[in-house]
Amino acid sequence: MLILLIAVASIAGSLIEQETLYQDWRPPKLYYPDRYGAFWGNLFLRLGLTHTYSSVWYATLILLVVVSLIICSFHRLVPLHRALTRPQVWKLAPFIRRQEVSHEVEGNLEEAATLLRKRGYKVVRDRECLYADKGRLSRYGPYIIHIGLLIVAFAGFSRALPGWDETRDVWIADGQTVKVPETEFALTNHKFTLEFHPNGAPAHFATDASLLKNGEEVARTSIEVNHPLRYDGWRFYQTSWREEPGTARLKVMAAPPLEQHLLTLELDLRQPEAVYPIGDRFELHVLSYYHDFVVDPATGEPGNASFEIRNPVLLGDFYDRQTGQVIGKIALAVFAKEPPVYQGPFYLAVDTVEPRLFTALKLHKDRSIPYMFTGLSVVMTGMMITFFVFHWQVWVREENGVLVYGARAYKNRFGLRQEFRRLLGIPDGEGNVS
Amino acid sequence: MIGHENLLPASSWLLLLAFAGYFAATLLYVSGYIGTRLSHGVRFTRNVMWADGAIWLGVAAHAAAILARWQGAGHWPTSNMYEFVGFLAFSSMLAFGVLNRIYRLPGLGALVAPVGVFLLAYSYVFPPKVQPLVPALKSYWLPLHVSMAALGEGFFAVAFGAALLYLLRVRGLELSAQRAEGAGPAGGAAGARSVHLRREDAWERVWGPRAMEALFYLILVMVGFTLLALTLRYSGFQWVFDTATYHLPPLIGPFGDAVGSKGSFLGLPMPLLEAPYWMRAKHVNSLLYSLAVGGLLYGLIRRFFTRGPIGDYLSLRVHGNPEVMDEVSYRAVAIGYPVFTLGGLIFAMLWANEAWGRYWFWDPKETWAFIAWLTYTAYLHLRISHGWEGRKSAWLAVLGFGVILFTLIGVNLLIVGLHSYAGGD
Repeated sequence: MLILLIAVASIAGSLIEQETLYQDWRPPKLYYPDRYGAFWGNLFLRLGLTHTYSSVWYATLILLVVVSLIICSFHRLVPLHRALTRPQVWKLAPFIRRQEVSHEVEGNLEEAATLLRKRGYKVVRDRECLYADKGRLSRYGPYIIHIGLLIVAFAGFSRALPGWDETRDVWIADGQTVKVPETEFALTNHKFTLEFHPNGAPAHFATDASLLKNGEEVARTSIEVNHPLRYDGWRFYQTSWREEPGTARLKVMAAPPLEQHLLTLELDLRQPEAVYPIGDRFELHVLSYYHDFVVDPATGEPGNASFEIRNPVLLGDFYDRQTGQVIGKIALAVFAKEPPVYQGPFYLAVDTVEPRLFTALKLHKDRSIPYMFTGLSVVMTGMMITFFVFHWQVWVREENGVLVYGARAYKNRFGLRQEFRRLLGIPDGEGNVS
Repeated sequence: MIGHENLLPASSWLLLLAFAGYFAATLLYVSGYIGTRLSHGVRFTRNVMWADGAIWLGVAAHAAAILARWQGAGHWPTSNMYEFVGFLAFSSMLAFGVLNRIYRLPGLGALVAPVGVFLLAYSYVFPPKVQPLVPALKSYWLPLHVSMAALGEGFFAVAFGAALLYLLRVRGLELSAQRAEGAGPAGGAAGARSVHLRREDAWERVWGPRAMEALFYLILVMVGFTLLALTLRYSGFQWVFDTATYHLPPLIGPFGDAVGSKGSFLGLPMPLLEAPYWMRAKHVNSLLYSLAVGGLLYGLIRRFFTRGPIGDYLSLRVHGNPEVMDEVSYRAVAIGYPVFTLGGLIFAMLWANEAWGRYWFWDPKETWAFIAWLTYTAYLHLRISHGWEGRKSAWLAVLGFGVILFTLIGVNLLIVGLHSYAGGD
């Protein structure tokens, strides 16, 4: 019943977009009412359906399963173990004949015991009766699975402990070194490589990265999707990349009528320098720079509309070092089609804009991983034992020179029947063996 | 030696051979199973043997096709819907082959071989072009995770077939008993009254046949969808919207396209309705047509071929020992379950841990795999410790396979998530 409840809860969680998966910049409180309508959106938020799998009630369901697993398993395991290790050997003939597979042949108990031992059965005798079984281990399988599942559940819950499940995301441009917040690590991106398939889908991306710990390089490797770097319990994943306008090559031009290209400046569109020399005598002073220029309609003040480099605008003075005078002014919108506004002997013209690639690396430290996969190996072992080892029980009673065989399969009845055909040499279609 | 450039065409031909094998096996199993009985064991007696051969021929050709595509494409061919659905057909037939060798259950092939035919036909709905791998799929886990999961699902498909066979057989026994009991309607009523019915039997008697008809309708909807998609793919009909291209007259257009903006079709304005923005309009549109075509197929078969409920018609033609069918279904689940757990969940977690930096994301695909796993877990628990054998158990095996199909196909088509690169359009 609990299993089905969890199934239903999981279905609900898969049909409603989860907070961790939706692709929108808005916070949940704004996003959900818009996505599902005011009524449903707020209802989902209130019920915790927007983060089903980390909600209190989902955790409660899982906890209930854990508790019932523990109780049921031990409740049943003890009597089962007793029944398996101390089986009732002496049985009446009607009981034996009632078993799934039964057959009668002439012979004595000693022969039966030898025959069964030869086929790998463990044989116990009591007066005129005999009990044999094999694949006893199979019966413990379910409990091994359950123990594994308990480990898995605890590993899952352990991630809620402080410091057990930590992630950091860093964006690093080519050649940059970035300190990872709240750790002793810094990462250098020597070179980010990106290749595409002819159809435009990404084929390969990798970061040639160095890991620095307290300023010293401790590892250097190529981090790729499916090939993370591992260091000291941390793993460093290649997750994504981003491209933004990087450097603008600006031609410094002598104003008409000369129209002469004097030299080229390289302007970092994220963080330009304060001063760019133009030859020995002149300088460009950057007075203000906006990467996404906008004028706030309320205050009339210039500012940035976003974090992106969408509309870079530079306001500068041309300065003569010899005279110490400002000799000209420029206002340049790098992406605009219109010519720049300027006065004085120089102006700037945009030559090219070089893109800059950022690699996205994710650091993850998850202490639950070894426990999780240990738990899963235990589960898998338990499953192998449960489903591929079969427990077959046989009772034999000797009555006046006739052996009454009866056998029961805990799993794979069909296999037991075949076993009996071979064991007792019964042709097809005879006896209660089919 | 086949040149490298010939590997992909060779793979297509081998796949066609596999399809022919499965198709021939279907015909041979059906004729062998029903024909032998109708002719009192005189005719068609060797058909089932030939059918077994045809299945193995199909499986061998299919395996060769997969290997050829692997070499030809340069990556293990389970990276998109076309390849995956084909692989699922292969694993189902392989699982059937294995269980058929153990149990030699006549009749199972007549139900499971068509599953292979259907899946393979369905795979042709998706574009068969080799697509280069995105970096996330470049891993040795691609063959391990996907093939192992598909193999488990193949066993679940066989469990479904055997469960269906069991349900039909039991219904058939019941019907024959009813007919033998009462010659007329009065006798029938008296007979029914005289039989002491347990509550669940009564429930089963009322709802069982209806659920069976609903199941056949759903199967025909899927068949209808496949037929429709295959016909239209090559028919060249299309209605182009900014966000999607429809190959069927758009009853429901994408959000933002006005009613009637694409002219009219048979006098009706196209699209007839505008979808709300959250709906995957194209898929819902196809779904509507599939429901209609499925209904049409169902109606035609019921009216002209079976002349009554399809389930009843089939159930009277099914023979064999129902206990063995029940056992085969259980055994198939018992094999499929650990294989699916390993391939579908554990390998998936190992891979996710390697590629995405976390072993579990609650991505819809993962969640549904987990739901499918829970369904079969419930099946095993109810069977082992609550004594659910027979019908209840069989219905659960049917439900479980429904969840599997939804996980594999429905999730890709209807829900967006991390696995969406596996979705075909």
